[in-house]
Amino acid sequence: MSSLEESVPRDWQGAGWRRTAPLIAALAAGAVDWRLGLIVGLWLGAWWVNTVLADRGARLAVPVIFGLTLLVLWEMAVRLFEVPGVILPPPSVIGARIMASLPILWGDFVQTAIKGALSGYVMGCGAAVAVAVLIDRSAFLQKGLLPVANFAAALPIVGTAPILVMWFGFDWQSKAAVVVVMVFFPMLVNTMAGLRAGEAMQADLMRTYGATYRQTLVKLRFPAAMPFIFNGLKICTTLALIGAIVAEFFGSPTSGMGFRISTAVGQLALDMVWAEITIAALAGSAFYGAVALIGRGVTFWHPSQRR
Amino acid sequence: MKRLIAGAVALGLGGSAAWAEDLTLQLKWVTQAQFGGYYVALEKGFYEEEGLNVTIKAGGPDIAPTQVIAGGGADVIVEWMPAALAAREKGLPLVNIAQPFKSSGMMLTCLAETGITAPTDFPGRTLGVWFFGNEFPFLSWMSQLGVPTNGGADGVEVLKQGFNVDPLLQKQADCISTMTYNEYWQVIDAGITPEQLVTFKYEDNGVATLEDGLYVLEERLADPAFKESLVKFVRASMKGWKYAEENPDEAAMIVLEYDETGAQTESHQKRMMSEVAKLTAGSNGTLDPADYERTVASLLSGGSDPVITKAPEGAWTHEITDMALN
Repeated sequence: MSSLEESVPRDWQGAGWRRTAPLIAALAAGAVDWRLGLIVGLWLGAWWVNTVLADRGARLAVPVIFGLTLLVLWEMAVRLFEVPGVILPPPSVIGARIMASLPILWGDFVQTAIKGALSGYVMGCGAAVAVAVLIDRSAFLQKGLLPVANFAAALPIVGTAPILVMWFGFDWQSKAAVVVVMVFFPMLVNTMAGLRAGEAMQADLMRTYGATYRQTLVKLRFPAAMPFIFNGLKICTTLALIGAIVAEFFGSPTSGMGFRISTAVGQLALDMVWAEITIAALAGSAFYGAVALIGRGVTFWHPSQRR
Repeated sequence: MKRLIAGAVALGLGGSAAWAEDLTLQLKWVTQAQFGGYYVALEKGFYEEEGLNVTIKAGGPDIAPTQVIAGGGADVIVEWMPAALAAREKGLPLVNIAQPFKSSGMMLTCLAETGITAPTDFPGRTLGVWFFGNEFPFLSWMSQLGVPTNGGADGVEVLKQGFNVDPLLQKQADCISTMTYNEYWQVIDAGITPEQLVTFKYEDNGVATLEDGLYVLEERLADPAFKESLVKFVRASMKGWKYAEENPDEAAMIVLEYDETGAQTESHQKRMMSEVAKLTAGSNGTLDPADYERTVASLLSGGSDPVITKAPEGAWTHEITDMALN
């Protein structure tokens, strides 16, 4: 044994303490209620499996097992404690509802994520990048526009959504408008930071080549700003989906994720609510992942992308 | 020593109030004259006389009374029968213990300029309806008319109406759902004259369903002490309703006092109270089984999309009203 291992007290190291503590915890929980003991036992058992696998370096298996364990624990808790379905449905019921309502879920996804969130995202981020370039060009605009954009970003969405619904109607246009308002300021700030991040040496080099402002912008500063821009784009994916869903609470045609969630809550169809939540989570993760993947490709040169 | 005496006095006074039974009522919507009877009973001390300590919880957008009672947030709820029967079928065993509202106040109000003159003109139009439990009578009516609700040339486009009348004023919908005592008057107040409107009452079209009724969870009716509280509650509430019917202006002022949001106005509430009095007239609180059967029949005849799929059993009881009002 090395001197380091010798200096650590025996109680704290070694398998003895680590093996008995989970067992004691599960037994103690079981003494309170046999169902609780079963759930705690399963949880700690799965955790142990995961630690063994992590040591062996199984990268994908660990999060998958973690996720599956959560679902199994949820199902067990709801079934064993007989939680009413109108409070919390078990994953099996939610899964059945997803399989039974695929056309509805697809329609809602198209209405909210594609027509509402995606179009608003593209318009908002595009506008933000354009305004950032304008601001970069003119200090006058920077002093004027930035505080206004800051103010617009602070407007609460639950206040602006009904107003935008009144202006743009009940369909996806008002949802896209809400997304534009939500997405504009973060994207603007990130793009501005990116444009400012160019190093003085590199700007000077372009100057010695006799490059115009436009050439410097397109060939040096914009590509150098890409890490910041993609940072902003990633942040805005989650904001866009949230904005589109919440905006639907304030008036919508009879399709869309926000509409389905709020009406299903009113009808006590909690399994449908959870099905929509699942679809929203999957859509959000996929959206974020897609933007991150594109970002990785575009900013391959950046130190953060080194493997 | 002084603190000890003060504490003992407080305990003594508090002790006498502790003999009152606590009961929480969840309303279907915000504090307004639609629930005037309960506020009158609270203000005039009818509940106190019966030995009840009643807490009235106001509802609002995104508050479904069925969810509140399922989560244990209330003992009794005010709810419309279609929503309660649908909840019963979903596994929440609600039972109707009293029915203060005899008639339905629900209507579909259209702008005359859209050219709609009869329900047969609905296909191809945009209609607004609230959800959160209020869509069932509408869906039932569309189903009975054979009009699909997902758009298309021979169906109707349905808008999830917010709780205002803007879709009609902004011409985003051809017709919107209104109540005789609330939204209809909001449209009139906005400057539109009755001649510019075409109104279809659910009562006149034979698709009326029972509205505000009192519901509790079935398993609680097995507790005799709780049943006693309910009997006292129904007795005092109906006393409040009859007082409100006879003194609508006073009842409206009482409701205004209890309105914490300050959003209600005197004229609107007085008008609402007199309209609501027309709906509660004719009921002493006892559910009329014939009205119940008509509501169930209307909900079952929904064609491809019925609100409920089979006739409910044990969804109402006369036990409480018999003991309260005999």
